[in-house]
Order: sequence, then C-alpha cells, then structure tokens
Amino acid sequence: MSEGLAVLLAVFVALMLLDAPIAFVIGIATVMAAWALGYGDVLVSVARDMGNGLDSFALLAIPFFILAGDLMGAGGLAGRLIDFAAVFLGRFRGGLAMVNTLTCMLFGAISGSAAAAVSSVGGTLIPEMNRKGYPKDFNIALTSTAATTGLLIPPSNVMIVYAVVASNVSISALFIAGVIPGIVVGLLIMAVALIVSRKNGYGGEQEHVAGEIKRSALVCTWRALPSLLLVVFVLGGILSGWFTPTEASAVAVLWAFLLAVVIYREVPIKMLPRLAVGSARTTGIVMLLVAVSQAMSGLLTEEQVPKFVSEALLGFSSNPLMILLTINIILLVVGTFMDMTPAVLVFTPIFLPVAVGIGIDPVHFGMILIANLCIGLCTPPVGTCLFLGCSVGKSNIARVSVSMLPFYGAMFVGLMLITYWPALSLWLPKLLGVMK
Amino acid sequence: MWNHIKRITATSLGWVAIAVFIVLTADVLLGVFSRKILGDQVRWTEELARFLLVWISFLGGAIAYLDDKHLGVDLLVDRIDPAAQRIARIVTHGLVFAFALGVMGIGGTQLVIDRFDSGQVLSALQINKAWFYLAVPVSGYVISLFAIGNVIALLAGATDIENPDSNDGEVAS
Repeated sequence: MSEGLAVLLAVFVALMLLDAPIAFVIGIATVMAAWALGYGDVLVSVARDMGNGLDSFALLAIPFFILAGDLMGAGGLAGRLIDFAAVFLGRFRGGLAMVNTLTCMLFGAISGSAAAAVSSVGGTLIPEMNRKGYPKDFNIALTSTAATTGLLIPPSNVMIVYAVVASNVSISALFIAGVIPGIVVGLLIMAVALIVSRKNGYGGEQEHVAGEIKRSALVCTWRALPSLLLVVFVLGGILSGWFTPTEASAVAVLWAFLLAVVIYREVPIKMLPRLAVGSARTTGIVMLLVAVSQAMSGLLTEEQVPKFVSEALLGFSSNPLMILLTINIILLVVGTFMDMTPAVLVFTPIFLPVAVGIGIDPVHFGMILIANLCIGLCTPPVGTCLFLGCSVGKSNIARVSVSMLPFYGAMFVGLMLITYWPALSLWLPKLLGVMK
Repeated sequence: MWNHIKRITATSLGWVAIAVFIVLTADVLLGVFSRKILGDQVRWTEELARFLLVWISFLGGAIAYLDDKHLGVDLLVDRIDPAAQRIARIVTHGLVFAFALGVMGIGGTQLVIDRFDSGQVLSALQINKAWFYLAVPVSGYVISLFAIGNVIALLAGATDIENPDSNDGEVAS
C-alpha cells in the first residue's frame, strides 16, 4: 500500500510544481498509483469512475448556479447592490468600507462566485474608496476578503461539491447552515474595516456617500430587490419543500434570464451565446475536477487511506479540540497554494471520516472546511481573490499583504468561532427542520 | 491554419454547449412543472438531465483546455527562466495529452464498447448507457488533439501557446 501512495503523492506534488492543470494532475497521479499498486484495467476503470462520478442529479445544480451567476453578474448588479448598501451604511464614518463589505456579501451570495465579486464590486468600489481617502492597499485587502463570504452564504457551489464527495450530506442543510457563519465572518470583516478606518482617519470627516445617491432608500431597495429575490426563491423553495436544490438552481437560471434580458434589459440577446460558453467552460473546469477526484477518492478508500490518516491523527492526540486544530492548520497550509474546489475534493474524503469519528456533524465540518479554505483564497502564493484584487486595484501582493493582516485576523477569528461553536452552523438548519 | 482549426472547434463546442444548456434548463423546469402543477412528474426528466450533465461537463472541460483556463498552481514556473519555462510547458501539455488520449480516449472507448456489448439501457430514456459514457472519449480525443498540437508548437519554438479566447479572467471559485 505505502509504495502506491508514495507514488500518488510524489507525482501529485511534482506535477503541481510544474503548473500542470490540477484536474490532469489528479488523474495522472491516480493512474500511476493504481499501476504501482498492481490494479488491472486501470485506463478503463478510471474512465468509468470519471463518468460515474458525474452521474448525479445533485451535481447538476453546479452548472445552473454558474449560469445564473453569470447572467446576474453581466448586468448592473454590482451598481444596484452598491446603491442599496450605501443608502443604509454610507452615512457613517468608515461607511464606504462597510458598504463594500455588505455589497461583496450580497454579490457573492447571488453570483455564487467570490472571484466575480472581487472584480465586479472591487472594479467600482476600490477606485471610489481611493477617491474618498481610503488607502488603495486597504481597499484591495478589504474587497478580497469580504468577497469570500459569498461562498458561505447560500447558494454556494462549493457546498454542492462538498455534499457530493461527502455523500449523504444534505445540500439543503448545508445551504441553511452557511447563513449565520457567512454573516458572522462578514460582520467581523466589517468591524475590522471600521476600526482600522476610524483609527487611521480613512475616508475623512465628510464622506457622506448617501448624499450623493440621488435616490431614496425605498427606490434603492426596490431596484435591488429583484436580484435579492434570487436568494429568497432558492432558499424559500428548498425550505418549503417545493424544489430540490437542483430544481431551485434551474429556477434561478430562469429568474436570472428574465431579469437580465427582459426586466433590466442589461444583457442583449447577442451577448448570450458568449456568456453561455463562458458558463460551460467554468462548468467544465469544476466538473472535470469532480470527475477525476471521484476516481482518486475511490482508490484512496480502497486502500483505506482515510482510516490510516484517522489513526495517525488519533494517535497524535485523542482530544477532539486538538484534532480539529490540527486539521485546521493542515487546511490553512493547503489553502495557501491550492484553490478551493480541488482542495475540497481532495481533502474531504480524507478528513471527513476523522471528523465524524470524533463526533463532528458532517454539515458542521463542511462549514469548517469552507471557512478555512476561504482564507486560502486570500493568501499568497496562490490566492485567487487576492490576485484578482491586486489586478483590479492595480497594486502588488507584497504591498497588499501588509494591509491584509487585520483581515486575516478577522477571518481567523471567524474560523475559530465556526470550528468550536457548532451551534453557529447547526442551530438554524435544526430550527427550520432541514436536519435533525 | 492550426489556430483556425482551434477556433472553429471552440466555436462548435460552444454552440453545442449552448444547446445543451437550453435543453437542460427546460428539462428540469418541466420536471418541477409536471410534479407541482400537473401532479405527476414526467418520468424521463431526471435521467435526461443526468445524461446532459455528463455531456456539458466533458465538453466544457474540452473548451476550458482549448482556452487554457484549467486551474493550475502558479508557484514555480513563473519564476524560472524562459527556456526552462518552455520545457515545463512541453512536459505539462505532454502529460495532458497522455491522460486525455490514454484514459479518457482509449480507456473511454473501451468502456463505451463494453457498455454496448452489455446492452445496459437507461430505464426511462430507453437508450444504451454507452451514449452516456461516450462523452468521456469524445472530450478526451478533442483535448488530446489540441494538447499534441500545443506540444508540437512549443517544440517548434513557440514560447507559449495561443488561445482562441484569452481576454477574460473568469475563475471557478
């Protein structure tokens, strides 16, 4: 067993360093390890696992949410959400920082993409904050971290990925479980932004963004409402038992299409093919990863790797708090160089049995995993949100990293709360009856 | 010429993807409509959805390769000198070629043949399960064709590969 797994690990690391696409890295490492372990018919069985790995109605929600998110994000969603957030929060000192955070949370939830939140919200608000006397690197750091909260706030594709690899975890329960942790992390980021802004006098005395918005609170809310309804439809539909999460995602596509093409008329019909191809491409990126990871996790389970890891961790300490902390630290390290989806796919099959073994609910563990890897999206050397933020805001990673420190603090406190306070995740889904 | 073929392939795959998206959405909405409004869910909607999901995923995977959008780890390669970078790219595209051809293409073809022989049929759609698995080798052959094209271009002296579409930075997270 150990030689085969050594092959898996060595090939994996070597190819990752070569910047090979991770989906192919996982596939090749699986094939080599299976050969080293003496399996027969490897080529056919990996191909079969890849096909079977995608044969799931639950996974279908992923392309739908991607398409809905692309349709929503293509129009003036960011502008409407910014106005909406600004009429309520813009009047305070440090208000623009809070507006940025709230907009990122809403945009991330609706579009389902932290990356899209950074580029769309950041594209407008980072220059705006620069003009109002907030330092550029602070603005980039704030936007990059705030954007990740959208991955905890439902609907969230990474939760669907987690539910499918974890098997027997309800997507509905995960969606509802993410609401409070997502808001808590968002509030922590907002608090840090406010403290830093006030302490350093960012934004000056006369910020008053709200005064510049010509519309009243009512009008701004009315204009943002149809977009916000997307989240309401999805969650309401799932909670009332009208839809499965997959069906809710198809309804989200229909609603996003109506908004973009008929109601707001911001996306011309001519643009739709290009947009759909982009969605198909994003789908392909995620789903190819899911497919090869299913093949790999089949092999890992066959070789009892989760059991081996579990025994090693339990041998190291029998204290659940210590084990969770160890898992958190490993994931934080992994997150610095691995993107979220591949990290969830690779590490869920290994760590979930350990977590369940020490009495952690799989829904709760999903929140820990995602909150943890959100930090990784903002850390060099590989941090999608941080990189995008730097390119949108025109700065470099070294300079922004300094401004990141207080925000890392906020995210870490959030992670610790989520890890060690299960009720934060589990109270709401239990209250609403989507889990026992 | 090569880039022309690449662009035509990407465009055709794109149109198939659009068609699949439209049918998929209509199909799942029909499932909801028939269950909630007509009171009896149409039998084949879920099976058709799973069938189309596998196709859009593997076609999307091929589009993502053509556009060079698959997630990688930019840890080392960007920091080494251009000559070594070129060698690293030749190796990675060569490995993509090997996996796409060997596993997805050849392994996938064998899988499809086995399924045709076994005669396993999707219960509601009444078609052979082989049509479901066919997405794997089709995607594999497309990817391997363009991967070997990239390797040849790099060997012939190109420093980086050209993409038919590389103007946006959409990422999958």
